[in-house]
Amino acid sequence: MPNEQMQELREARTIERINLQLRVQHFALMVSVTLLILTGLALLYRDSAFGRLLIALEGGFEARGTIHRVAAGLLMATVFYHLLYILFSREGHEEFMQMLLTVQDFKDYGAALLYGLGVRAEEPQLDRYSYREKFQYWAFALFVVIMIVSGFILWFHNWFFGLLPKWAFDVALAVHSGTGTLILLVLTLWHFYLVHLSPGRFPIDWSFWNGKISEKRLQEEHPLEYQRLKEKGLL
Amino acid sequence: MRGIIALWVMVGGLVLSSWPGYSQRDPNARCLLECHANPELKREIAPGQFKSLYVDYEQFKGSVHRDKLCVDCHTDVTAIPHQRRPEQIHCLQCHYQGNVVGAPVSERPEKYKESAHGKASKRGDPNAPDCKNCHTVHTVRAHTDPISPVYRANIPKTCGSCHIEIYTEYVESVHGQALRNNILESAVCSDCHREHDLFPPDDPRSSLHPQNVANTCARCHTDVKIMERRGVPVKQVEAFKRSFHGIAIEFGILRSANCISCHDYHNILSSRDPRSPIYPLNLATTCGQCHPNAGQNVARGRFHIIPSDPDAGIVFWVYEFYRWLTMVMTAGFIFYIVLDLYGRWRHARRGAHG
Repeated sequence: MPNEQMQELREARTIERINLQLRVQHFALMVSVTLLILTGLALLYRDSAFGRLLIALEGGFEARGTIHRVAAGLLMATVFYHLLYILFSREGHEEFMQMLLTVQDFKDYGAALLYGLGVRAEEPQLDRYSYREKFQYWAFALFVVIMIVSGFILWFHNWFFGLLPKWAFDVALAVHSGTGTLILLVLTLWHFYLVHLSPGRFPIDWSFWNGKISEKRLQEEHPLEYQRLKEKGLL
Repeated sequence: MRGIIALWVMVGGLVLSSWPGYSQRDPNARCLLECHANPELKREIAPGQFKSLYVDYEQFKGSVHRDKLCVDCHTDVTAIPHQRRPEQIHCLQCHYQGNVVGAPVSERPEKYKESAHGKASKRGDPNAPDCKNCHTVHTVRAHTDPISPVYRANIPKTCGSCHIEIYTEYVESVHGQALRNNILESAVCSDCHREHDLFPPDDPRSSLHPQNVANTCARCHTDVKIMERRGVPVKQVEAFKRSFHGIAIEFGILRSANCISCHDYHNILSSRDPRSPIYPLNLATTCGQCHPNAGQNVARGRFHIIPSDPDAGIVFWVYEFYRWLTMVMTAGFIFYIVLDLYGRWRHARRGAHG
């Protein structure tokens, strides 16, 4: 086969890289976090026209709070399901083990930076989950834990009044809004850039919906995974 | 005979002219001479119940109406002595828009009509005050006159003449104590309740409607000069507005706490006073009004904090940490994106060449 035809074929041939389980979990996460951010921003920017518009769209001040708590419930359910998935399903457990941070990830990250700067000629060879995916996963895991703990204190303050000093509620509030802002930042500047906005993916990468990636891109972005799949004869 | 009468008139004239307060030449002298200068003059309004008809003319001459004639207001008195009881007079006889006697006009009487007192008066409540209950009848003085009942220092007593229990609470409060120490910038009844436009707290127009309480307190408590003179912190109202309670109130959740929910109102006391609801040991009870689980824990921490203010303690440091982290991460992400695009661009160029 001529090289060009081969290239086209490899662009058209896709494989399901992300299974349905993970796609559903990601979707629930996406919906709940989007709602949480929109209702949270409404409160944070209540004094601006933007905040008032959000509050109006969310059906008023008290409805805003209700949506925030319902979305929090969805997020916590998703987290709980994800924990069950990685603990008790073989498939989930295997995915999770690949997600663990290793020294190689930090080396890859350094190499990627050096490659960007032009110091290194070669791009690092990345696996199924590279420093990009892992850093995002663990950053979000940490954020979600912080948000759930601080959010719980604020939500059930009447119960926690018997347990925590007054300053703990003030700290919980500062942490909740501070981390919320960070999450928005990480999502827009990092996650969105990496998955949707960067060249070759813009304007949207549908893999979050169908889990598919072209063979060409798999080889470019996850060469080690590509090689492993090829060796197993799965391509 | 005529000589005797003339003598009597002369003697009477001499005696009267030496009476304090008015001279015979005073156009009001006849009213006084005939009857109303007599402290004993009274009328039986019910069996055994008397109303004094005495007019303290010296006081009248100190009032804002000192140049008026009795008959300027008592217009139905056309002959002296009058045959019939004069009708009750009303301030609005003169104080109306377009009056020709030069009586000052303001919107206050109109506001009064809408007020709690005005409404009660309209309903026929015999205890409802109108103008004269605060401004008096014959001795109306400007609010700047220290012996006027509407002078700042005298307002609590004036209101207290009806609201006796509230008055006794007020005089014990920080505001009442300060006023007793001649600190005239301390809050008196009308500073919070207003005077002519005084509404019950459930009326949205009221200065003490839950959504307006913070702004009412703010009229003094955000005034840096007054608060510095009195050694009272000035950021409390702003901090409240940024707090859970303040935000909830702003968006119409009226059950949320406002200033008076914790500080009380007529008997506001310093947090150092063990009788105060905000005395640290009393906070559990105070917060407990709404938060049943509140214990001594609620006293452990600072109140009325603004996160960006170093006075907020640990909250300030958490806030600063997040502020810096957010800035550093923003810079980091932008750096990463630029680097990534630059890398791709170089790669593409080299690919095209190679």
